[in-house]
Amino acid sequence: MTAAVLAASPARPTLVRAVCVREWREALGNKLLVGMTLLPPVVILIAGIGAVAAAAVNPPSDRDVQALYASAPAVAGLDPKEAVQGFIATYFLILFMLIPTVVPLTMAIYSVIGEKAARTLEPLLATPVGVGDLLFAKSLASTIPSVIVTWAAYGIYLATVIAIGSRAAVNAVTAPRWILAIVVLVPLLTLLSVNLGILISTRVNDVRVAQQIGGLVVVPVVGLGIAQVTGRVILDNGAFLEMTIVLIILDIAVFWFARLAFQRENILVRWR
Amino acid sequence: MKSVVRTEKLTKRFGDLVAVDGIDLDVHEGEVFGFLGPNGAGKTTTLRLLCALIAPTSGTAEIAGFRLGRDDAKIRAAVGILTELPGLYERQSAWDNLVFFATLYGLPTPVANAQAEKYLRLMGLWERRKEPVVTFSRGMKQKMAIARAALHEPRVIFLDEPTTGLDPDAAKTVREFIVALRGEGRTVFLCTHNMDEADRLCDRIAFFRHRVLRIAKPDELRAELYGRATEIRLMPKPRAEDLARVQAVPGVREAHFENGSIVVASADPLLTNPLLVKALVDGGADIAFVTERKAHLEDVYLKIVEPIE
Repeated sequence: MTAAVLAASPARPTLVRAVCVREWREALGNKLLVGMTLLPPVVILIAGIGAVAAAAVNPPSDRDVQALYASAPAVAGLDPKEAVQGFIATYFLILFMLIPTVVPLTMAIYSVIGEKAARTLEPLLATPVGVGDLLFAKSLASTIPSVIVTWAAYGIYLATVIAIGSRAAVNAVTAPRWILAIVVLVPLLTLLSVNLGILISTRVNDVRVAQQIGGLVVVPVVGLGIAQVTGRVILDNGAFLEMTIVLIILDIAVFWFARLAFQRENILVRWR
Repeated sequence: MKSVVRTEKLTKRFGDLVAVDGIDLDVHEGEVFGFLGPNGAGKTTTLRLLCALIAPTSGTAEIAGFRLGRDDAKIRAAVGILTELPGLYERQSAWDNLVFFATLYGLPTPVANAQAEKYLRLMGLWERRKEPVVTFSRGMKQKMAIARAALHEPRVIFLDEPTTGLDPDAAKTVREFIVALRGEGRTVFLCTHNMDEADRLCDRIAFFRHRVLRIAKPDELRAELYGRATEIRLMPKPRAEDLARVQAVPGVREAHFENGSIVVASADPLLTNPLLVKALVDGGADIAFVTERKAHLEDVYLKIVEPIE
Protein backbone atom coordinates (compact mmCIF):
# COMPACT_ATOMS: atom_id res chain seq x y z
CA MET A 1 0.00 0.00 0.00
CA THR A 2 1.42 3.35 -0.99
CA ALA A 3 1.85 5.91 1.78
CA ALA A 4 -0.07 9.11 1.22
CA VAL A 5 1.67 11.92 -0.62
CA LEU A 6 2.38 14.63 1.95
CA ALA A 7 3.20 17.51 -0.35
CA ALA A 8 1.17 20.51 -1.41
CA SER A 9 1.96 24.03 -2.55
CA PRO A 10 3.20 25.95 0.50
CA ALA A 11 1.48 29.11 1.64
CA ARG A 12 3.22 32.20 0.27
CA PRO A 13 4.31 33.59 3.69
CA THR A 14 5.78 30.18 4.56
CA LEU A 15 7.66 30.08 1.28
CA VAL A 16 8.95 33.63 1.66
CA ARG A 17 10.11 32.96 5.23
CA ALA A 18 11.83 29.70 4.25
CA VAL A 19 13.60 31.22 1.24
CA CYS A 20 14.67 34.32 3.18
CA VAL A 21 16.04 32.33 6.12
CA ARG A 22 17.93 30.00 3.79
CA GLU A 23 19.38 32.84 1.74
CA TRP A 24 20.42 34.78 4.84
CA ARG A 25 22.12 31.72 6.30
CA GLU A 26 23.89 31.20 3.01
CA ALA A 27 24.90 34.88 2.83
CA LEU A 28 26.19 34.93 6.40
CA GLY A 29 28.40 31.96 5.56
CA ASN A 30 29.96 33.89 2.69
CA LYS A 31 32.51 36.27 4.22
CA LEU A 32 33.13 38.03 0.90
CA LEU A 33 29.44 38.76 0.50
CA VAL A 34 29.12 39.98 4.09
CA GLY A 35 32.12 42.25 3.54
CA MET A 36 30.76 43.60 0.27
CA THR A 37 27.40 44.21 1.93
CA LEU A 38 28.78 46.10 4.90
CA LEU A 39 31.63 48.00 3.26
CA PRO A 40 29.63 50.65 1.29
CA PRO A 41 27.44 51.76 4.22
CA VAL A 42 30.40 51.79 6.60
CA VAL A 43 32.53 53.87 4.21
CA ILE A 44 29.73 56.34 3.48
CA LEU A 45 28.87 56.58 7.16
CA ILE A 46 32.46 57.22 8.25
CA ALA A 47 33.02 59.70 5.42
CA GLY A 48 29.74 61.52 6.17
CA ILE A 49 30.33 61.79 9.90
CA GLY A 50 33.97 62.73 9.32
CA ALA A 51 33.02 65.48 6.85
CA VAL A 52 30.39 67.00 9.16
CA ALA A 53 32.83 66.84 12.10
CA ALA A 54 35.63 68.38 10.00
CA ALA A 55 33.31 71.17 8.87
CA ALA A 56 32.47 71.86 12.53
CA VAL A 57 36.16 72.18 13.38
CA ASN A 58 37.61 73.91 10.31
CA PRO A 59 36.13 77.25 9.21
CA PRO A 60 35.59 77.41 5.43
CA SER A 61 37.43 79.98 3.27
CA ASP A 62 35.54 83.03 1.98
CA ARG A 63 35.77 81.71 -1.56
CA ASP A 64 34.18 78.38 -0.52
CA VAL A 65 31.41 80.23 1.29
CA GLN A 66 30.63 82.46 -1.71
CA ALA A 67 30.59 79.45 -4.01
CA LEU A 68 28.31 77.63 -1.59
CA TYR A 69 25.87 80.55 -1.31
CA ALA A 70 25.77 80.72 -5.12
CA SER A 71 25.06 77.00 -5.61
CA ALA A 72 22.73 76.56 -2.63
CA PRO A 73 20.59 79.67 -2.15
CA ALA A 74 18.74 77.98 0.73
CA VAL A 75 21.77 78.35 3.00
CA ALA A 76 22.53 81.95 2.00
CA GLY A 77 22.68 84.21 5.03
CA LEU A 78 23.55 81.44 7.46
CA ASP A 79 26.75 81.44 9.46
CA PRO A 80 29.44 80.08 7.03
CA LYS A 81 30.40 77.18 9.29
CA GLU A 82 26.74 76.24 9.76
CA ALA A 83 26.06 76.62 6.05
CA VAL A 84 28.93 74.33 5.10
CA GLN A 85 27.82 71.71 7.63
CA GLY A 86 24.27 71.89 6.35
CA PHE A 87 25.47 71.53 2.79
CA ILE A 88 27.74 68.55 3.60
CA ALA A 89 25.01 66.86 5.65
CA THR A 90 22.61 67.14 2.69
CA TYR A 91 25.23 65.95 0.21
CA PHE A 92 25.87 62.81 2.22
CA LEU A 93 22.14 62.14 2.41
CA ILE A 94 22.29 61.69 -1.35
CA LEU A 95 25.25 59.36 -0.97
CA PHE A 96 23.11 57.26 1.38
CA MET A 97 20.92 56.64 -1.64
CA LEU A 98 23.87 54.77 -3.16
CA ILE A 99 23.65 52.06 -0.50
CA PRO A 100 20.35 50.61 -1.76
CA THR A 101 21.75 50.46 -5.27
CA VAL A 102 25.04 48.75 -4.43
CA VAL A 103 24.33 46.40 -1.50
CA PRO A 104 21.23 44.54 -2.74
CA LEU A 105 22.66 44.23 -6.23
CA THR A 106 25.53 42.15 -4.87
CA MET A 107 23.19 40.03 -2.77
CA ALA A 108 20.77 39.41 -5.64
CA ILE A 109 23.59 38.50 -8.01
CA TYR A 110 25.05 36.02 -5.52
CA SER A 111 21.58 34.65 -4.87
CA VAL A 112 20.94 33.68 -8.51
CA ILE A 113 24.46 33.02 -9.81
CA GLY A 114 25.22 31.08 -6.63
CA GLU A 115 22.25 28.79 -7.29
CA LYS A 116 23.24 28.43 -10.93
CA ALA A 117 26.78 27.44 -9.98
CA ALA A 118 25.65 25.01 -7.27
CA ARG A 119 23.02 23.51 -9.61
CA THR A 120 20.37 23.94 -6.92
CA LEU A 121 17.80 25.56 -9.17
CA GLU A 122 16.45 22.34 -10.67
CA PRO A 123 15.55 20.69 -7.34
CA LEU A 124 14.12 24.03 -6.23
CA LEU A 125 11.96 24.27 -9.34
CA ALA A 126 10.87 20.65 -8.96
CA THR A 127 8.89 21.62 -5.85
CA PRO A 128 5.26 22.72 -6.20
CA VAL A 129 6.08 26.40 -5.56
CA GLY A 130 5.18 28.96 -8.21
CA VAL A 131 8.16 30.64 -9.89
CA GLY A 132 6.58 34.05 -9.39
CA ASP A 133 6.40 33.38 -5.65
CA LEU A 134 9.96 32.11 -5.70
CA LEU A 135 11.17 35.24 -7.48
CA PHE A 136 9.24 37.42 -5.05
CA ALA A 137 10.76 35.54 -2.09
CA LYS A 138 14.25 35.87 -3.54
CA SER A 139 13.69 39.60 -4.14
CA LEU A 140 12.62 40.09 -0.55
CA ALA A 141 15.56 38.04 0.75
CA SER A 142 17.93 40.58 -0.83
CA THR A 143 15.75 43.64 -0.24
CA ILE A 144 15.08 43.29 3.49
CA PRO A 145 18.70 43.22 4.74
CA SER A 146 19.70 45.99 2.34
CA VAL A 147 16.92 48.27 3.54
CA ILE A 148 17.75 47.46 7.16
CA VAL A 149 21.45 48.20 6.58
CA THR A 150 20.61 51.51 4.87
CA TRP A 151 18.16 52.55 7.57
CA ALA A 152 20.61 51.56 10.30
CA ALA A 153 23.40 53.56 8.65
CA TYR A 154 21.06 56.53 8.26
CA GLY A 155 19.99 56.21 11.90
CA ILE A 156 23.60 56.32 13.08
CA TYR A 157 24.31 59.27 10.77
CA LEU A 158 21.22 61.09 12.02
CA ALA A 159 22.13 60.54 15.69
CA THR A 160 25.74 61.64 15.11
CA VAL A 161 24.79 64.80 13.19
CA ILE A 162 22.29 65.71 15.90
CA ALA A 163 25.05 65.19 18.48
CA ILE A 164 27.89 67.08 16.76
CA GLY A 165 26.35 69.06 13.91
CA SER A 166 25.14 72.64 13.59
CA ARG A 167 21.50 73.63 13.51
CA ALA A 168 21.62 73.81 9.70
CA ALA A 169 23.06 70.29 9.53
CA VAL A 170 20.44 68.96 11.92
CA ASN A 171 17.70 70.73 9.94
CA ALA A 172 19.03 69.14 6.75
CA VAL A 173 19.10 65.58 8.02
CA THR A 174 15.77 65.81 9.82
CA ALA A 175 13.93 67.52 6.97
CA PRO A 176 10.66 65.59 6.51
CA ARG A 177 11.25 65.13 2.78
CA TRP A 178 14.63 63.48 3.44
CA ILE A 179 13.19 61.23 6.11
CA LEU A 180 10.38 60.33 3.74
CA ALA A 181 12.97 59.75 1.02
CA ILE A 182 14.87 57.37 3.24
CA VAL A 183 11.66 55.59 4.27
CA VAL A 184 10.06 55.43 0.81
CA LEU A 185 12.77 55.80 -1.83
CA VAL A 186 15.27 53.43 -0.23
CA PRO A 187 12.98 50.37 -0.46
CA LEU A 188 11.97 51.34 -4.01
CA LEU A 189 15.59 51.79 -5.11
CA THR A 190 16.52 48.53 -3.39
CA LEU A 191 13.79 46.59 -5.17
CA LEU A 192 14.90 48.08 -8.48
CA SER A 193 18.49 47.11 -7.85
CA VAL A 194 17.54 43.59 -6.68
CA ASN A 195 15.41 42.80 -9.70
CA LEU A 196 18.01 44.28 -12.05
CA GLY A 197 20.56 42.04 -10.34
CA ILE A 198 18.32 39.01 -10.82
CA LEU A 199 17.66 39.95 -14.43
CA ILE A 200 21.37 40.37 -15.18
CA SER A 201 22.19 37.12 -13.37
CA THR A 202 19.91 35.19 -15.69
CA ARG A 203 22.21 36.14 -18.56
CA VAL A 204 25.70 35.85 -17.10
CA ASN A 205 27.46 33.30 -14.91
CA ASP A 206 30.23 35.45 -13.52
CA VAL A 207 29.54 37.47 -10.39
CA ARG A 208 32.09 40.15 -11.36
CA VAL A 209 30.63 40.63 -14.83
CA ALA A 210 27.13 40.86 -13.35
CA GLN A 211 28.33 43.44 -10.83
CA GLN A 212 29.97 45.51 -13.55
CA ILE A 213 26.78 45.55 -15.60
CA GLY A 214 24.61 46.12 -12.53
CA GLY A 215 26.90 48.91 -11.34
CA LEU A 216 25.39 51.11 -14.04
CA VAL A 217 22.36 51.55 -11.80
CA VAL A 218 24.53 53.76 -9.59
CA VAL A 219 25.06 56.28 -12.39
CA PRO A 220 21.66 58.05 -12.19
CA VAL A 221 21.98 58.42 -8.41
CA VAL A 222 25.50 59.84 -8.67
CA GLY A 223 24.32 62.11 -11.48
CA LEU A 224 21.50 63.35 -9.29
CA GLY A 225 23.95 64.05 -6.47
CA ILE A 226 26.26 66.01 -8.78
CA ALA A 227 23.31 67.93 -10.23
CA GLN A 228 22.18 68.91 -6.76
CA VAL A 229 25.64 69.87 -5.53
CA THR A 230 26.16 72.07 -8.58
CA GLY A 231 22.74 73.63 -8.11
CA ARG A 232 21.34 72.34 -11.38
CA VAL A 233 18.61 70.38 -9.61
CA ILE A 234 16.77 71.35 -6.47
CA LEU A 235 15.47 68.27 -4.65
CA ASP A 236 12.24 69.77 -3.37
CA ASN A 237 9.01 67.95 -2.48
CA GLY A 238 7.89 67.90 -6.11
CA ALA A 239 11.14 66.30 -7.24
CA PHE A 240 10.84 63.59 -4.57
CA LEU A 241 7.27 62.86 -5.60
CA GLU A 242 8.34 62.58 -9.24
CA MET A 243 11.22 60.28 -8.30
CA THR A 244 8.88 58.10 -6.25
CA ILE A 245 6.47 57.71 -9.16
CA VAL A 246 9.29 56.96 -11.62
CA LEU A 247 10.78 54.39 -9.26
CA ILE A 248 7.44 52.65 -8.75
CA ILE A 249 6.99 52.38 -12.52
CA LEU A 250 10.56 51.16 -12.98
CA ASP A 251 10.15 48.62 -10.16
CA ILE A 252 7.04 47.17 -11.75
CA ALA A 253 8.64 47.10 -15.20
CA VAL A 254 11.88 45.46 -14.05
CA PHE A 255 10.03 42.91 -11.89
CA TRP A 256 7.88 42.08 -14.91
CA PHE A 257 10.97 41.51 -17.06
CA ALA A 258 12.62 39.48 -14.31
CA ARG A 259 9.42 37.42 -14.03
CA LEU A 260 9.54 36.79 -17.79
CA ALA A 261 13.13 35.59 -17.55
CA PHE A 262 12.40 33.55 -14.42
CA GLN A 263 10.39 30.75 -16.03
CA ARG A 264 10.96 27.09 -15.22
CA GLU A 265 11.73 26.11 -18.78
CA ASN A 266 13.94 29.16 -19.42
CA ILE A 267 15.93 28.48 -16.29
CA LEU A 268 16.45 24.78 -17.00
CA VAL A 269 16.97 24.90 -20.74
CA ARG A 270 18.34 28.31 -21.67
CA TRP A 271 20.24 29.53 -18.61
CA ARG A 272 23.84 28.49 -18.72
CA MET B 1 -2.38 -2.77 -13.15
CA LYS B 2 -2.89 0.84 -12.25
CA SER B 3 -0.97 3.36 -14.36
CA VAL B 4 0.85 6.18 -12.62
CA VAL B 5 2.67 7.56 -15.64
CA ARG B 6 0.91 7.46 -18.97
CA THR B 7 1.95 9.42 -22.03
CA GLU B 8 0.55 9.64 -25.51
CA LYS B 9 2.69 10.91 -28.36
CA LEU B 10 4.59 13.10 -25.91
CA THR B 11 6.97 15.27 -27.90
CA LYS B 12 9.51 17.94 -27.05
CA ARG B 13 11.32 19.98 -29.68
CA PHE B 14 14.02 22.60 -29.17
CA GLY B 15 14.01 24.43 -32.47
CA ASP B 16 14.85 21.83 -35.11
CA LEU B 17 16.02 19.28 -32.57
CA VAL B 18 13.46 16.66 -31.59
CA ALA B 19 14.59 15.65 -28.11
CA VAL B 20 11.57 13.48 -27.34
CA ASP B 21 9.69 12.10 -30.30
CA GLY B 22 6.11 11.08 -29.64
CA ILE B 23 6.65 8.63 -26.80
CA ASP B 24 3.91 6.38 -25.45
CA LEU B 25 4.59 5.13 -21.96
CA ASP B 26 2.48 3.26 -19.46
CA VAL B 27 4.28 2.87 -16.15
CA HIS B 28 2.51 0.92 -13.44
CA GLU B 29 2.10 1.61 -9.77
CA GLY B 30 4.71 -0.11 -7.63
CA GLU B 31 7.12 -1.02 -10.42
CA VAL B 32 10.71 -0.06 -10.99
CA PHE B 33 10.75 1.13 -14.56
CA GLY B 34 14.14 1.34 -16.23
CA PHE B 35 14.76 4.05 -18.80
CA LEU B 36 17.91 3.25 -20.71
CA GLY B 37 19.53 5.09 -23.55
CA PRO B 38 22.79 6.68 -24.64
CA ASN B 39 23.94 10.14 -23.60
CA GLY B 40 22.00 12.82 -25.45
CA ALA B 41 19.08 10.48 -26.11
CA GLY B 42 16.63 12.81 -24.37
CA LYS B 43 16.29 10.96 -21.07
CA THR B 44 16.74 14.04 -18.89
CA THR B 45 14.33 15.98 -21.10
CA THR B 46 11.78 13.18 -20.66
CA LEU B 47 12.24 13.29 -16.90
CA ARG B 48 11.77 17.05 -16.89
CA LEU B 49 8.62 16.69 -18.96
CA LEU B 50 7.19 14.06 -16.64
CA CYS B 51 8.03 16.17 -13.57
CA ALA B 52 6.22 19.17 -15.10
CA LEU B 53 9.42 21.18 -15.22
CA ILE B 54 9.19 21.89 -18.93
CA ALA B 55 6.19 21.91 -21.23
CA PRO B 56 5.71 19.43 -24.07
CA THR B 57 5.57 20.67 -27.64
CA SER B 58 2.75 18.23 -28.31
CA GLY B 59 1.17 15.10 -26.89
CA THR B 60 -0.35 14.44 -23.51
CA ALA B 61 0.70 12.91 -20.23
CA GLU B 62 -0.94 11.95 -16.99
CA ILE B 63 1.25 11.56 -13.95
CA ALA B 64 -0.10 10.28 -10.63
CA GLY B 65 -3.58 11.01 -11.94
CA PHE B 66 -2.84 14.61 -12.85
CA ARG B 67 -2.83 16.06 -16.34
CA LEU B 68 0.41 17.60 -17.58
CA GLY B 69 -0.08 21.24 -18.51
CA ARG B 70 -3.18 21.60 -16.38
CA ASP B 71 -2.18 20.29 -12.93
CA ASP B 72 1.55 20.98 -12.99
CA ALA B 73 1.88 22.05 -9.35
CA LYS B 74 -0.04 18.93 -8.29
CA ILE B 75 2.25 16.77 -10.41
CA ARG B 76 5.31 18.33 -8.80
CA ALA B 77 3.81 17.65 -5.38
CA ALA B 78 3.13 14.03 -6.28
CA VAL B 79 6.54 13.20 -7.73
CA GLY B 80 10.12 13.39 -6.53
CA ILE B 81 13.19 13.80 -8.69
CA LEU B 82 16.85 13.05 -8.23
CA THR B 83 18.63 15.26 -10.72
CA GLU B 84 21.92 14.40 -12.44
CA LEU B 85 23.86 16.40 -9.85
CA PRO B 86 22.84 16.48 -6.17
CA GLY B 87 22.34 20.28 -6.17
CA LEU B 88 22.49 20.82 -2.43
CA TYR B 89 23.13 24.00 -0.46
CA GLU B 90 26.64 23.09 0.55
CA ARG B 91 27.22 25.71 3.23
CA GLN B 92 24.15 24.51 5.09
CA SER B 93 23.71 21.45 7.23
CA ALA B 94 22.09 18.25 6.05
CA TRP B 95 19.22 18.96 8.41
CA ASP B 96 18.66 22.52 7.14
CA ASN B 97 18.75 21.32 3.53
CA LEU B 98 16.05 18.71 4.06
CA VAL B 99 13.82 20.85 6.26
CA PHE B 100 14.04 23.68 3.70
CA PHE B 101 12.88 21.43 0.88
CA ALA B 102 10.22 19.83 3.07
CA THR B 103 8.87 23.33 3.69
CA LEU B 104 8.84 24.04 -0.04
CA TYR B 105 6.85 20.83 -0.49
CA GLY B 106 4.31 22.37 1.86
CA LEU B 107 4.94 20.07 4.83
CA PRO B 108 3.99 21.62 8.17
CA THR B 109 7.01 22.12 10.46
CA PRO B 110 6.46 19.06 12.73
CA VAL B 111 5.94 16.83 9.67
CA ALA B 112 8.94 18.38 7.91
CA ASN B 113 11.11 17.68 10.94
CA ALA B 114 9.82 14.12 11.25
CA GLN B 115 10.39 13.40 7.56
CA ALA B 116 13.88 14.90 7.62
CA GLU B 117 14.75 12.70 10.61
CA LYS B 118 13.22 9.60 8.98
CA TYR B 119 15.23 9.94 5.78
CA LEU B 120 18.47 11.04 7.43
CA ARG B 121 18.31 7.91 9.59
CA LEU B 122 17.36 5.74 6.62
CA MET B 123 20.35 7.01 4.67
CA GLY B 124 22.71 6.64 7.63
CA LEU B 125 23.33 10.39 7.86
CA TRP B 126 21.57 11.16 11.13
CA GLU B 127 24.78 11.45 13.14
CA ARG B 128 26.11 14.06 10.71
CA ARG B 129 22.91 16.05 10.33
CA LYS B 130 24.39 19.25 11.78
CA GLU B 131 27.43 19.29 9.54
CA PRO B 132 27.54 21.42 6.40
CA VAL B 133 27.00 19.39 3.26
CA VAL B 134 30.28 20.66 1.83
CA THR B 135 32.08 18.28 4.21
CA PHE B 136 30.19 15.25 2.84
CA SER B 137 31.57 12.69 0.41
CA ARG B 138 30.01 12.32 -3.03
CA GLY B 139 28.13 9.25 -1.89
CA MET B 140 26.72 11.07 1.12
CA LYS B 141 25.61 13.97 -1.04
CA GLN B 142 23.90 11.56 -3.41
CA LYS B 143 22.11 9.93 -0.48
CA MET B 144 21.06 13.39 0.69
CA ALA B 145 19.67 14.16 -2.76
CA ILE B 146 17.75 10.88 -2.80
CA ALA B 147 16.39 11.63 0.66
CA ARG B 148 15.25 15.01 -0.62
CA ALA B 149 13.48 13.36 -3.57
CA ALA B 150 11.59 11.03 -1.23
CA LEU B 151 10.97 13.48 1.60
CA HIS B 152 7.36 14.24 0.75
CA GLU B 153 6.47 10.58 0.12
CA PRO B 154 5.85 10.99 -3.61
CA ARG B 155 3.94 8.36 -5.59
CA VAL B 156 6.54 8.39 -8.34
CA ILE B 157 10.25 8.96 -7.90
CA PHE B 158 12.39 9.79 -10.91
CA LEU B 159 16.01 8.88 -10.37
CA ASP B 160 18.59 10.10 -12.86
CA GLU B 161 21.77 8.01 -12.54
CA PRO B 162 21.37 7.41 -8.80
CA THR B 163 24.51 5.31 -8.30
CA THR B 164 26.92 6.98 -10.71
CA GLY B 165 30.24 7.61 -9.02
CA LEU B 166 29.26 5.91 -5.78
CA ASP B 167 31.40 3.36 -3.98
CA PRO B 168 29.93 -0.16 -3.77
CA ASP B 169 28.67 0.35 -0.23
CA ALA B 170 26.81 3.59 -1.03
CA ALA B 171 25.49 2.09 -4.29
CA LYS B 172 24.16 -0.89 -2.33
CA THR B 173 22.34 1.44 0.09
CA VAL B 174 20.76 3.27 -2.83
CA ARG B 175 19.69 0.02 -4.51
CA GLU B 176 18.21 -1.26 -1.25
CA PHE B 177 16.35 2.01 -0.93
CA ILE B 178 14.90 1.59 -4.42
CA VAL B 179 13.74 -1.91 -3.54
CA ALA B 180 12.21 -0.58 -0.32
CA LEU B 181 10.34 2.09 -2.27
CA ARG B 182 8.90 -0.57 -4.54
CA GLY B 183 7.93 -2.54 -1.44
CA GLU B 184 5.92 0.46 -0.28
CA GLY B 185 4.05 0.48 -3.57
CA ARG B 186 5.85 3.50 -4.97
CA THR B 187 6.86 3.71 -8.58
CA VAL B 188 10.50 4.29 -9.40
CA PHE B 189 11.42 5.64 -12.82
CA LEU B 190 15.09 4.81 -13.10
CA CYS B 191 17.46 6.33 -15.65
CA THR B 192 20.76 4.53 -15.60
CA HIS B 193 23.72 3.48 -17.71
CA ASN B 194 24.45 0.67 -15.28
CA MET B 195 23.05 -2.40 -17.07
CA ASP B 196 23.67 -4.74 -14.17
CA GLU B 197 21.76 -2.41 -11.88
CA ALA B 198 18.89 -2.13 -14.36
CA ASP B 199 18.82 -5.90 -14.72
CA ARG B 200 18.70 -6.45 -10.98
CA LEU B 201 16.23 -3.72 -10.08
CA CYS B 202 13.86 -3.11 -12.95
CA ASP B 203 10.57 -4.87 -13.48
CA ARG B 204 10.44 -3.49 -16.99
CA ILE B 205 12.88 -1.61 -19.15
CA ALA B 206 12.40 0.91 -21.92
CA PHE B 207 15.23 1.37 -24.40
CA PHE B 208 15.12 4.92 -25.56
CA ARG B 209 16.76 7.16 -28.08
CA HIS B 210 14.55 10.17 -28.65
CA ARG B 211 11.73 7.65 -29.01
CA VAL B 212 10.92 4.43 -27.22
CA LEU B 213 12.61 1.58 -29.07
CA ARG B 214 11.38 -1.31 -26.94
CA ILE B 215 9.69 -1.92 -23.60
CA ALA B 216 9.79 -5.33 -21.94
CA LYS B 217 10.86 -7.28 -18.87
CA PRO B 218 14.63 -7.88 -18.81
CA ASP B 219 14.21 -11.67 -19.14
CA GLU B 220 11.84 -11.26 -22.05
CA LEU B 221 14.28 -8.98 -23.82
CA ARG B 222 17.06 -11.50 -23.44
CA ALA B 223 14.91 -14.41 -24.51
CA GLU B 224 13.54 -12.54 -27.47
CA LEU B 225 16.91 -11.65 -28.83
CA TYR B 226 18.95 -14.73 -28.02
CA GLY B 227 16.42 -17.46 -27.31
CA ARG B 228 16.72 -19.30 -24.00
CA ALA B 229 19.76 -21.48 -23.63
CA THR B 230 20.84 -24.09 -21.13
CA GLU B 231 24.43 -24.97 -20.43
CA ILE B 232 25.18 -28.53 -19.29
CA ARG B 233 28.61 -29.42 -17.97
CA LEU B 234 29.46 -33.10 -17.82
CA MET B 235 32.24 -34.92 -15.97
CA PRO B 236 34.91 -35.38 -17.20
CA LYS B 237 33.81 -33.90 -20.55
CA PRO B 238 30.91 -34.39 -22.98
CA ARG B 239 31.09 -37.03 -25.66
CA ALA B 240 29.64 -37.01 -29.18
CA GLU B 241 27.00 -39.53 -28.09
CA ASP B 242 25.95 -37.18 -25.29
CA LEU B 243 25.40 -34.42 -27.82
CA ALA B 244 23.39 -36.79 -30.02
CA ARG B 245 21.18 -37.76 -27.07
CA VAL B 246 20.60 -34.10 -26.28
CA GLN B 247 19.73 -33.26 -29.87
CA ALA B 248 17.15 -36.03 -29.87
CA VAL B 249 15.21 -34.60 -26.93
CA PRO B 250 11.85 -33.10 -27.97
CA GLY B 251 11.80 -29.30 -27.85
CA VAL B 252 15.53 -28.87 -28.47
CA ARG B 253 16.13 -26.43 -31.28
CA GLU B 254 19.88 -26.59 -31.38
CA ALA B 255 22.77 -28.02 -29.35
CA HIS B 256 26.53 -27.72 -29.67
CA PHE B 257 29.79 -28.10 -27.76
CA GLU B 258 31.22 -24.96 -26.25
CA ASN B 259 34.20 -24.77 -23.90
CA GLY B 260 33.71 -28.27 -22.57
CA SER B 261 29.97 -27.92 -22.11
CA ILE B 262 26.92 -28.65 -24.19
CA VAL B 263 24.89 -25.54 -24.90
CA VAL B 264 21.27 -26.26 -25.71
CA ALA B 265 18.75 -23.81 -27.17
CA SER B 266 15.13 -24.72 -26.61
CA ALA B 267 11.75 -23.06 -26.83
CA ASP B 268 10.90 -23.70 -23.20
CA PRO B 269 13.77 -24.74 -20.93
CA LEU B 270 11.37 -25.40 -18.03
CA LEU B 271 9.88 -28.29 -20.01
CA THR B 272 13.01 -29.39 -21.83
CA ASN B 273 15.63 -29.35 -19.06
CA PRO B 274 14.24 -32.31 -17.03
CA LEU B 275 14.11 -34.36 -20.26
CA LEU B 276 17.70 -33.39 -21.08
CA VAL B 277 18.92 -34.43 -17.65
CA LYS B 278 17.05 -37.74 -17.85
CA ALA B 279 18.40 -38.47 -21.34
CA LEU B 280 21.97 -37.81 -20.30
CA VAL B 281 21.75 -39.77 -17.04
CA ASP B 282 20.13 -42.69 -18.87
CA GLY B 283 23.06 -42.55 -21.30
CA GLY B 284 25.53 -42.87 -18.45
CA ALA B 285 26.76 -39.28 -18.37
CA ASP B 286 27.82 -37.66 -15.10
CA ILE B 287 26.29 -34.17 -14.87
CA ALA B 288 28.33 -31.57 -12.99
CA PHE B 289 25.77 -28.79 -13.32
CA VAL B 290 22.89 -27.49 -15.41
CA THR B 291 22.50 -23.75 -15.63
CA GLU B 292 20.56 -21.19 -17.57
CA ARG B 293 22.77 -19.28 -19.94
CA LYS B 294 21.80 -15.65 -19.66
CA ALA B 295 22.63 -13.01 -22.19
CA HIS B 296 23.81 -9.81 -20.52
CA LEU B 297 21.43 -6.89 -20.67
CA GLU B 298 24.30 -4.93 -22.13
CA ASP B 299 24.24 -7.23 -25.17
CA VAL B 300 20.53 -6.61 -25.55
CA TYR B 301 21.06 -2.87 -25.16
CA LEU B 302 23.78 -2.80 -27.77
CA LYS B 303 21.68 -4.82 -30.17
CA ILE B 304 18.59 -2.61 -29.79
CA VAL B 305 20.02 0.84 -29.21
CA GLU B 306 23.34 0.96 -31.01
CA PRO B 307 22.25 0.06 -34.58
CA ILE B 308 20.21 3.25 -34.82
CA GLU B 309 23.05 5.62 -35.63
